[in-house]
Amino acid sequence: MAQLTDEIASVLREEIVRYKSGIDVREVGRVLEVGDGIARVWGLSGVMAGEMVEFPNGITGLAFNLEENSVGVIILGDYLKVTEGDEVKSTGRLLSVPVGDAVIGRVLDPLGNPLDGKGPVVTELRRPVETLAPGVAERSPVREPMQTGIKAVDAMTPIGRGQRELIIGDRKTGKTAIGIDAIINQKNSGVKCFYVAVGQKDSSVAVAIDTLRKYGAMDYTTVIVSGASTAAPLQYIAPYSGTAMAEHFMYNGQHALIVYDDLSKQATAYRQLSLLMRRPPGREAYPGDVFYAHSRLLERSAKLSKELGGGSLTSLPIIETLEGEVSAYIPTNVISITDGQIYLQPDLFFAGQRPAMNAGISVSRVGGAAQTKAMKKVAGGLRLDLASFRELEAFAQLGTDLDAATQQRLDRGYRMVELLKQGQFAPMDTVDQVLSIYAGTRGHLDDVKRDEVADWEKGFLTFVRDQVPELRKRIDESKELDAESERQLEAAIAEFKRQRAAKTGGEAKQFAGAR
Amino acid sequence: MPAATTATTDTTHVDIAADRVAKIYAQAIVDAADAAGQRREVLADLGMLARDVLPQVPEAEAVFASPKVSPEAKAAMIDRIAKDRLQPTTLHSLHVLARHGRLGILAAVVAAAERLADERDGKRQAVFTTAVPLAAAEQERIVGETQKALSVALVATFVVDPAIIGGLVVRVGDTIYDQSVATSLARLGGRLQERNIHAIQNGEYSWHS
Repeated sequence: MAQLTDEIASVLREEIVRYKSGIDVREVGRVLEVGDGIARVWGLSGVMAGEMVEFPNGITGLAFNLEENSVGVIILGDYLKVTEGDEVKSTGRLLSVPVGDAVIGRVLDPLGNPLDGKGPVVTELRRPVETLAPGVAERSPVREPMQTGIKAVDAMTPIGRGQRELIIGDRKTGKTAIGIDAIINQKNSGVKCFYVAVGQKDSSVAVAIDTLRKYGAMDYTTVIVSGASTAAPLQYIAPYSGTAMAEHFMYNGQHALIVYDDLSKQATAYRQLSLLMRRPPGREAYPGDVFYAHSRLLERSAKLSKELGGGSLTSLPIIETLEGEVSAYIPTNVISITDGQIYLQPDLFFAGQRPAMNAGISVSRVGGAAQTKAMKKVAGGLRLDLASFRELEAFAQLGTDLDAATQQRLDRGYRMVELLKQGQFAPMDTVDQVLSIYAGTRGHLDDVKRDEVADWEKGFLTFVRDQVPELRKRIDESKELDAESERQLEAAIAEFKRQRAAKTGGEAKQFAGAR
Repeated sequence: MPAATTATTDTTHVDIAADRVAKIYAQAIVDAADAAGQRREVLADLGMLARDVLPQVPEAEAVFASPKVSPEAKAAMIDRIAKDRLQPTTLHSLHVLARHGRLGILAAVVAAAERLADERDGKRQAVFTTAVPLAAAEQERIVGETQKALSVALVATFVVDPAIIGGLVVRVGDTIYDQSVATSLARLGGRLQERNIHAIQNGEYSWHS
């Protein structure tokens, strides 16, 4: 015991000796009124817009509105603990969050506080939540592919590193699934992933985290959670703080992927804040700068130039539409900001086509530049073919007689649709994707029954892996499909078909014999 | 030099709307007083009314604020009370306030007018908080030193607050210069805590009993 008191005394003494008595200069104001996550503060005459302020109990706020006689502050934290008359200090700093390797594998709130019970985030590295996006000179064109492992996406709307691809669709159409699949597929690519859950049900977020953990994705992923029950200010800043954490890797020459799930909820939170702050409402009661709120966020995703290390930040913002209404305010805004969109449709979803991507209106403005040569070769034109197939299909439903050529196009289309179906949490290797899509687009599946396509594909990929591994290796290494590879692939398909026929034929014979 | 008083700048409850209106009237009154060359006299009159007279007759305040009493009646009342006793500019100012139904915020108008007058003189309001009352000489010295350090003329108010334990807290406008013992202790405590949390996080924690 004596030893303990001695130790405490020595630490205290040391601290007092080291203590430099300085004058604590601070600028203060007083809370006039508080409610719903915002406070009106009198005083703070020198505070700047976006500056962090401090309430008693260590609660932070952000100066949001500077008015003639008062300052509107959004409260980041428990606003019920702030009362009228509280002293508010300006800090002269911007809001920042911890970044770096320490945040990887963690579940954090938008201020960087841990929510996973694994103790504090130990790092000295911090980054301001709001920063300027890299300018024109600091960027280079998007070229490298960011594989999502989803056949339909990688083949038809390829995403490049540094691209912003919107995932848009009604509720329950598999939007989150695409984001989660994309994260799971980054397992061996060295890409750091960030999943920002804004305004989501805590139960859904728990499921997402559990899924990521189950597939080993939490080793390189950070989840930033601001659930439906958190105050609007936190929901509003969550995407920005997630981006700050991801940017750290981009500016250090690494690659990062961030999924914003979803930005329509963030826009709603921002609308709430703005209305409480009495900013004038515009269309759908959103404030006039809701476009800027999203554009300055998404502009921060970029592919940096070589001089800056060539890092990248890819973002997959998610927008939920109501009844397929893409011409609502927020969807049109975000569509115009992003470099393309993946449009998910409920009727396709319920018809069993999953991912329920509508090939006609889904696009990627980066396109082929973000595909490997092999993929570009096999999948070129696939999207347009599939879109025209959809039209043809609608026409064929009228029951008119079809000529042979049309029927053949229909059959090909049906098989491609089957081929592009893919289970959840089963991302596919790029080479496998190339092999499958090659077989489909070159008509090798035309004689396979529609309900056997999935089985055929599975068998074929196993066959290639087991019996012609040199072909896989060749495509994998060269990333292209040259004449020689193509010849080998044709031969492999022929051989597989022969074996399969023999097998099923044998089974049929056995079956007949047993009878 | 004013003696130690209780805080006159109570900023806990502020009516922004009244403050805003008061500023406009204050500017008009100060301008009018300046034009008449009687700023000091007018402000003294108003200050006396707002701080010394009205608190003694709370009913008068209620009458001034009430919209039920007509502006004419208020004007007549002002004439009866103040004619010949106050400066003509003060009287006119009160009449203007009465006519616009703003007599109720007289105190806010006076405070704003005094602030504005100080501002025009290049002076700033300062509140000095100490744990124990200071002697007049000490007060003068502190104000002098502070004026020198900030290179600005100050209108000082002294407040005693034992909660700061010791030292001095100066508030000029919205800025607080705090060298109180209470704040220093809080900072020291925070630093100790922070350092030990850091030690625990880095596994350097060495206290074993």
